[in-house]
Amino acid sequence: MSDLYPLGLRLSGRRVLVVGGGPVAARRARGLVEAGAVVRVVAPEACEELASLAAGAGGPGTGGATVELVLREYRTGDVDGVWLVHTATGDPAVDARVAADAEAARTFCVTAGDATLGTGWVPAVGRVGSGGDEVTVAVSAGRDPRRAVAVRDAVAAELQTGALPLRRVRATGSRAGRVALVGGGPGAPGLITARGRVLLAQADVVVADRLGPRMLLEELADDVLVIDVGKTSGNHPVPQDEINALLVEHALAGRDVVRLKGGDPYVLGRGGEELAACRAHGIEVEVVPGVTSAVSVPAAAGIPVTHRGVARGFSVLTGHEDTGSVPGGPDHTLVLLMGVSRLAEAAATLVTDERPAGTPVAVIEDGYGPRQRVTVGTLGTIAALAEAAGVRPPAIIVVGDVVRLSPHWTATA
Amino acid sequence: MTAGATEVTGRVTLVGGGPGAADLLTLRGWRALMAADVVVADRLGPRSVLEELDPRTEVVDVGKTAGHHPVPQEEINAILVERARRGQRVVRLKGGDPFVFGRGGEEVLACRAAGVPVEVVPGVSSAVGVPELAGIPVTHRGITASFHVTSGHGGLDAAALASVRDGAATLVILMGVSMLGTIVRQSLDAGTDPATPVAIVENGSTPAQRVTRARLDEVARVAAEEGVAAPAVIVIGGVAADGVLEEARVGRLAGARG
Repeated sequence: MSDLYPLGLRLSGRRVLVVGGGPVAARRARGLVEAGAVVRVVAPEACEELASLAAGAGGPGTGGATVELVLREYRTGDVDGVWLVHTATGDPAVDARVAADAEAARTFCVTAGDATLGTGWVPAVGRVGSGGDEVTVAVSAGRDPRRAVAVRDAVAAELQTGALPLRRVRATGSRAGRVALVGGGPGAPGLITARGRVLLAQADVVVADRLGPRMLLEELADDVLVIDVGKTSGNHPVPQDEINALLVEHALAGRDVVRLKGGDPYVLGRGGEELAACRAHGIEVEVVPGVTSAVSVPAAAGIPVTHRGVARGFSVLTGHEDTGSVPGGPDHTLVLLMGVSRLAEAAATLVTDERPAGTPVAVIEDGYGPRQRVTVGTLGTIAALAEAAGVRPPAIIVVGDVVRLSPHWTATA
Repeated sequence: MTAGATEVTGRVTLVGGGPGAADLLTLRGWRALMAADVVVADRLGPRSVLEELDPRTEVVDVGKTAGHHPVPQEEINAILVERARRGQRVVRLKGGDPFVFGRGGEEVLACRAAGVPVEVVPGVSSAVGVPELAGIPVTHRGITASFHVTSGHGGLDAAALASVRDGAATLVILMGVSMLGTIVRQSLDAGTDPATPVAIVENGSTPAQRVTRARLDEVARVAAEEGVAAPAVIVIGGVAADGVLEEARVGRLAGARG
């Protein structure tokens, strides 16, 4: 049996007494102000934090909350008419007297020193999210506040990184659904952002591509609707206007939708079109940048797209476009996405006076995936080498002297 | 490899911290930070995450602050190697992505040369993420399908100038605010359309994010009038025009907590 009954208090506009003028009292007063309480602090002297709190109370987000600082000793009548008492004087005799007065007035009292004196405990609190979607975690751990804080920190970290379920289970009425365009990164589940992972944990519907961190889909609850719009071999992908319509349809039905994309939504990801389609229907959209494959997949092969003395810039383009007019020499890195099927033609057209046939090239297949493989050569040799190796998509092509920095280059050259 | 190298039990992890908001760190980066013995941090990037580290984790600040010079790169390399050789788990926390003008390549080579195990955790590059959060897609169907990223130190090179002149690719310039006048003059001299849209995003992903837009031939004057200052990302090209897209998370930025 536990002698602690957990409860949340709505203190907005209600009078609360804090006895004590030190840092503990200040911390309590701050928490009470944030909850909107009308706080009176009684103490012979007050620390700087309390004084500034009293001077600046009613700051942003505190509603009508106020802190009144009364610089004198505690008197028995102080507990009259308040909803809650906190005492943190550092003097066990005073704390005991406050607790006894509160008991007589049938007012709950939290004592900072000897917690057994009081009738209430303050848990360690963590909050994730904001507004109506906020999740609050409150931890009590016996009489060990440090242990409670450690547990709170661990739970809060899991929540902030989306490792715990954050989905709304009880419908919050008529709230409109939202769409989040989440850049999932190159594919490894750990390379999604914390924000992206949290949104995924909150989603009712996930619209997923073939690329990106697909393993995360397996961690979703069974009743999360996963719609696969990516192309697989032999199947055509869902056309973009149909994807847009799906996002709009589910959001208008009140569902929170995550459009999970590989890499970054705005790097050849057509995220802009999805944003515009949703906004045209008045749907709230959040865009979460992702780790772009254009930079991270070369990194997986040990290739930095820029490097002092080797490359002072890089260009990202598709292998489908006219590669014959791309400016720069070997000191300017080129990253070609979606270019494997046209590798031979692209390599041939990229050779210019500035960019000779001996310019290094790396082809990285399935970056961060189980089939990750790096094939290196030059603009003159890569097409034949890739064909001999059976290179296939998804793959990223890097052209320029930075390829020489890869351990794969030194291993073959 | 010397016999001494086999005694190394420490390791170095280069973590791309993203543009600044703590929740734009990757999960892998976050986990590396939480498990670190020592974190070597820059001035840019998600500094607020340093307050969430285990109290026993040591923070070595190598970023430059106003009036102070930053720690030279060779010295940073030496710190990473030396700490790893002591057996520590070292995280080198960088703004954006380690390999996009982050000098991460030099740190990797220094560790490799010293026989210290080194791993790179890529991050959200400011070159893409900062414009994105300001509603500027670096590629957008019907406008451009490619982009070119360069550093503004020393002005634009021939490849960057060709890119901006032809309007074939979005030009993204990092660390370019102090060179803005030069960048504009070079672009115009190269024959770039003076009406080409330019956007400058300061303090991207933080509550202080601000976007300043102007035509190429007016942007230097407008930026001076507005007091545009580093850190900022400059975007030149059709995608920088006002109204292509809305800002990505205005509501969240106003809500302050990252």
